[in-house]
Amino acid sequence: MTSLISSRFTTRRSRVQDWLFGGIGAIASLVTLGALGWILADLVKMGLPHLSVEFFTADMKSAGREGGIGPMIVSTFLILVCFLFPAIPLGVGCAFWLSEYVQGGSRIARAVTGGVDLLASVPSIVFGLFGMSFFCQVLGLGFSILSGGLTLTCMVLPILVRTTLSAMTSLPPDLRPAAGALGLTRATTLWQILLPAALPGIMIGITLGVGRALAETAALLFTSGYSTRWPESIHDSGRAISVHIYDLAMNIPNGGGKASASALVLLLMILAINLVASLLADRCLKSQYIS
Amino acid sequence: MAISSVPKTNAPPPGTAGISVRDLSVHYGNFEALKDVNLSIEAGLVTALVGPSGCGKSSFLHSLNRLTDLVPGCKVKGSVRFGNGGESCGPGVDVLALRRRVGMVFQKPNPFPQSIRRNFEIPLREHGVRRKEISEVIEKCLRDVGLWDEVSDRLDRSAMALSGGQQQRLCIARALALDPDVILFDEPCSALDPMASAVVEEHIAALRGRITVAIVTHNLAQARRISDRVAVFWIRNGSGTIIEHGPTKEVFSNPVDPSSRCYLEGGCG
Ligand SMILES: Nc1ncnc2c1ncn2[C@@H]1O[C@H](COP(=O)(O)OP(=O)(O)O)[C@@H](O)[C@H]1O
Ligand SMILES: [Mg+2]
Repeated sequence: MTSLISSRFTTRRSRVQDWLFGGIGAIASLVTLGALGWILADLVKMGLPHLSVEFFTADMKSAGREGGIGPMIVSTFLILVCFLFPAIPLGVGCAFWLSEYVQGGSRIARAVTGGVDLLASVPSIVFGLFGMSFFCQVLGLGFSILSGGLTLTCMVLPILVRTTLSAMTSLPPDLRPAAGALGLTRATTLWQILLPAALPGIMIGITLGVGRALAETAALLFTSGYSTRWPESIHDSGRAISVHIYDLAMNIPNGGGKASASALVLLLMILAINLVASLLADRCLKSQYIS
Repeated sequence: MAISSVPKTNAPPPGTAGISVRDLSVHYGNFEALKDVNLSIEAGLVTALVGPSGCGKSSFLHSLNRLTDLVPGCKVKGSVRFGNGGESCGPGVDVLALRRRVGMVFQKPNPFPQSIRRNFEIPLREHGVRRKEISEVIEKCLRDVGLWDEVSDRLDRSAMALSGGQQQRLCIARALALDPDVILFDEPCSALDPMASAVVEEHIAALRGRITVAIVTHNLAQARRISDRVAVFWIRNGSGTIIEHGPTKEVFSNPVDPSSRCYLEGGCG
């Protein structure tokens, strides 16, 4: 009889706990959603009136208070290209090497993953300073879109390594023995079986990295610089949208509206990239598992 | 059966590769999972490997095709010979060629998450089969497992969309595509429903005489139905070993070892 009573008691207690945690969770989610909504609403309210076709294509005027952000959009795209070109092979290659060619607990694996994690915790302003002295000066690339992109590569590399690595380790564990039993080489197994299977995860990782890169200001200020001219090549200095927002908000009186509009553009870009990536990842998964 | 274009070194005529295992032991770190295993698996016959879980049946199979190499800390000692070929245990063996000759089908069907066609193309290309011959091989092997009529119009669709039983038959066909001398089955039916299991069993039984088959099974009735020889694994002194082996009829009707008698009569294990 006592056991029955006590079990009823614990049920009631666990029900209260359930309710409590459920409630806290719901409130936390609402707060998060609310914050997002508030930011969005604020940006739209401040920025939307400034949005026009011209804003996307025109030069800026009057230190940014007038005109558009055409050159910044182009610079941002070029910086992304310079960032992704080395970042994808380096990040994915490093993760492949860690997951397929060295043993998990080995000293070298721990050293590399430790280094990657350390890199992830370095503040971006430090990357900016490093990029300025290494890419701009030592390698002689100057204040350029290329220097900015490469600095971002260093900064975002840990994200790519970590997400690719987790995509690799969360692959079905029976793929490797299946490939091994068919006498496939490690290279074939990696490139033709593991890589396609991990591709959706890797794409999500790249998207995260791109988002991080688009949002970055500090690492770009001293590397790709803040020239507002139309860039003619990756060796020109060019102002990223994020840097432009920073400049408008901090240095230009009455720059707030254009800053919000630029932020809105940046947000739309990030949203579009996320959408495309998740559609691609979805299609990839579907082709692998459903149709 | 032979695919003429697949280069095969030291290969005995099809279906004649028996396996001779001498003093085999398998260690995982300091743990001795298998000890003193001696067994001759006869060419062209079906040999069932039975015994309770954890007594090293899978470890035994994996040491035959060197899949144990993939397990960090796993050491295999002893001697394994296929047909009249050389020693395949130990260093200096062309492991990839060995695995081509010794196919394996796992407990859980494990097609690659790609199209049915790619599931064949990847291994066939790896082993040098020419592109234009691949379609022919695919059709032949899918017919061998009774899958051709079910999937011939969807070769470019995902293999993962097939049912469990179809996936397992696909895996058997994929193993057959490399024209192996031996196929090792590790509980190939235990993840399937009874109907699918019966179909898979039928196709395994049909390999008899063409290919040497070693099959781990927990289904004693199945072992009795499809095998010519049976080997009973058991734990002795903390390690797995073979306590009895011989022709299926004899071993089932008159087991010598008391543990194996108990197990085969369904009393323990
Ligand atoms: N990768 C491994 N690492 C450590 N121990 C293992 C590993 N694989 C199997 N073992 C151990 O070896 C013994 C035999 O396992 P296994 O060959 O899977 O037996 P069975 O297939 O007969 O169930 C078990 O005790 C198991 O725990
Ligand atoms: Mg097993």
